Amino acid sequence: MTEAPLISVENLTRHYKVGEEEVRALDGVSFDVMRGEWVAVVGQSGSGKSTLMNLIGALDTPSGGSYRINGHDVEKLSDDQLADLRNNEIGFVFQTFQLLSRSTALANVELPLVYRGLPRKERKERAVKALEAVGLANRMHHKPNELSGGQRQRVAIARALVGNPSLLLADEPTGNLDSATGEEIIRLFGELHQRGHTILLVTHEPRLAARCPRAIRLSDGKVVADGPGADVASLGAPPVPSPHPGAAA
Amino acid sequence: MKTVRRAWAELVEGLRIAFGALAGARLRTFLTTLGIVIGVSTVITIVAIIQGLDRSFEEQIQFLGAHTLYVDRQPWIQSDDTWWMYRNRQKISVTELKAVQRESQLALSVAPMVGIRGKVARGGVELESVVLRGTTEEYLNANGGAVQAGRFLVSSDVELARPAIVLGTDVMDRLFPDEPAAAVIGKRVLVAGRPFQVVGVLERQGQLLGMPLDNVAVMPYPTFGRIFGAQRNMVLSVAAPPGKIADLESELTPILRRARHVQPGKADDFAFNRQEQFLKLYKQLTSALYGMAVGVGLITLIVGGIGIMNIMLVSVHERTREIGVRRALGARRSTILVQFLIESAAVAALGGAVGTALGLGVAQLVALLSPLAAAATPSAIVFGIAFSTATGLLFGIWPAWRAANLDPVEALRYE
Ligand SMILES: Nc1ncnc2c1ncn2[C@@H]1O[C@H](COP(=O)(O)OP(=O)(O)OP(=O)(O)O)[C@@H](O)[C@H]1O
Ligand SMILES: [Mg+2]
Repeated sequence: MTEAPLISVENLTRHYKVGEEEVRALDGVSFDVMRGEWVAVVGQSGSGKSTLMNLIGALDTPSGGSYRINGHDVEKLSDDQLADLRNNEIGFVFQTFQLLSRSTALANVELPLVYRGLPRKERKERAVKALEAVGLANRMHHKPNELSGGQRQRVAIARALVGNPSLLLADEPTGNLDSATGEEIIRLFGELHQRGHTILLVTHEPRLAARCPRAIRLSDGKVVADGPGADVASLGAPPVPSPHPGAAA
Repeated sequence: MKTVRRAWAELVEGLRIAFGALAGARLRTFLTTLGIVIGVSTVITIVAIIQGLDRSFEEQIQFLGAHTLYVDRQPWIQSDDTWWMYRNRQKISVTELKAVQRESQLALSVAPMVGIRGKVARGGVELESVVLRGTTEEYLNANGGAVQAGRFLVSSDVELARPAIVLGTDVMDRLFPDEPAAAVIGKRVLVAGRPFQVVGVLERQGQLLGMPLDNVAVMPYPTFGRIFGAQRNMVLSVAAPPGKIADLESELTPILRRARHVQPGKADDFAFNRQEQFLKLYKQLTSALYGMAVGVGLITLIVGGIGIMNIMLVSVHERTREIGVRRALGARRSTILVQFLIESAAVAALGGAVGTALGLGVAQLVALLSPLAAAATPSAIVFGIAFSTATGLLFGIWPAWRAANLDPVEALRYE
């Protein structure tokens, strides 16, 4: 039996026009991700990792190609439908946490459910559960500036999970954390993977990518490797000096 | 159901965010609303003063009975350049009075009025410029009003041309300081040097457009004629049954035309005056004031609105990342739009409420410190707040639209 992939990307491109020049941030990317997979996305700075995540997360629209997420043809959706897709199917975790600074942890976590139109009581129940799941039951009424970096990222993960999305997207979630705290966060992702969540994780650290069952390596907007995390991560471990250095730094 | 709940949840969230943002920047909120506060309070003050004027004018105008026609040879309200048209008209005289008394079916009562300003004296006191009025016993029926002491003129006073006089309260107060009205009855006074006997004192009537109505002394018109000449122009007060004033006018027109020998085809050489016309004139005057209030209000609201727009643009700019986060979590463009509209409407409503309170306070102060009876109606209050809220909405559209149309990716990356 062949199950339909959760993410199916075909020849996806994203070009930016900078002045007269065209930057091919994504240059024909194709891959599938099955439900329950944990995939690391690696590559040098500027290789198009964030661009890819923003497209899959329905925050951005592609220049060409097509992709499906949980059966939705994303490139054909209207702006409102994209918003609903983000709300229902996607959980985002950002490098810079992106919490609302004036709101408590609880209010931050409730937010996706507000936009889903759930009643207040249910919102609160689910937000409390999500915070408990990331080990922050005792920090619910704290504002982000009263929390440590690791705790903030946990709140962000709780917020990403609270709507029960089919896909978790994390763009360098450990980038702003020290290695011990980063390790904790990665362990949390491991647990979520165990519980059946589908995760796409961008990381710079080969060590982290190596722990993922699968990794995709991007270079200049193209997929250059796709395989078991350990293999793909080691590929780029000592960055190979290129005879043609990239145009942009 | 789900969309309703979603809209409701977003509205509540919008209000929560709005008040959170406003409370988070109190000084800025205060400065933002200042324009609106000043605008609304100015308008409320002006409106309160106008409404106070309205009320006191309506009280004043009561003395001109609502159901009374005043027949004169000229209209009382005329534009500046038409007065000469009436100058050579024949005076209204006893002939017309008798004709109306004889022929009118509708008239409830008819009273003539002749008038002049003259001296009234008693002992050492001499009043220079009292309105001396000649009329009949019908005067009160036709014009309204009442005596507070003694009696009014009776028909025999008129038939016999008695030297009987009824005093207005101002005249009484100045001729007989500290004496109660009842004590004045039967006293002798000199009118234009001739002896009269006081038979009654009128109730106080107040003033009309600043003119005192109680500086008056009323006598039989034949008596008046003997002293000041019988050839004076008369005004006839003719009282109509309620609602029949127009009918009365059409009935009187042929009677008067006949009495005054107006040729068929020629225009009337007399005019009907009534309270309504004063109301109309007054409305014209106050509508100019209202226009001013509206003008001031509009200008300040525009200034206030631009202030709000400016601050909202700054707010959108500062909260770019917040907007990106909300969009990433599933907020639609319309959600963001509504959120910022709520915020600008809330600031403006706040300013409107403060401005209204301030305006009412100033109006109270004006009422206390001046003879103007400033008084605002509840509708003015509702209007003040509603109008400023609408201003907030209007001037919030552009910033809210900008917020709603931010690119989510750009917004999230914004430093
Ligand atoms: N808004 C934009 N306008 C123009 N070029 C852009 C824009 N966003 C990204 N790019 C370009 O697209 C390319 C890919 O950028 P992207 O952010 O996806 O890289 P990345 O792999 O996430 O890098 P990093 O690891 O540093 O985050 C880069 O060359 C970048 O300069
Ligand atoms: Mg990136």
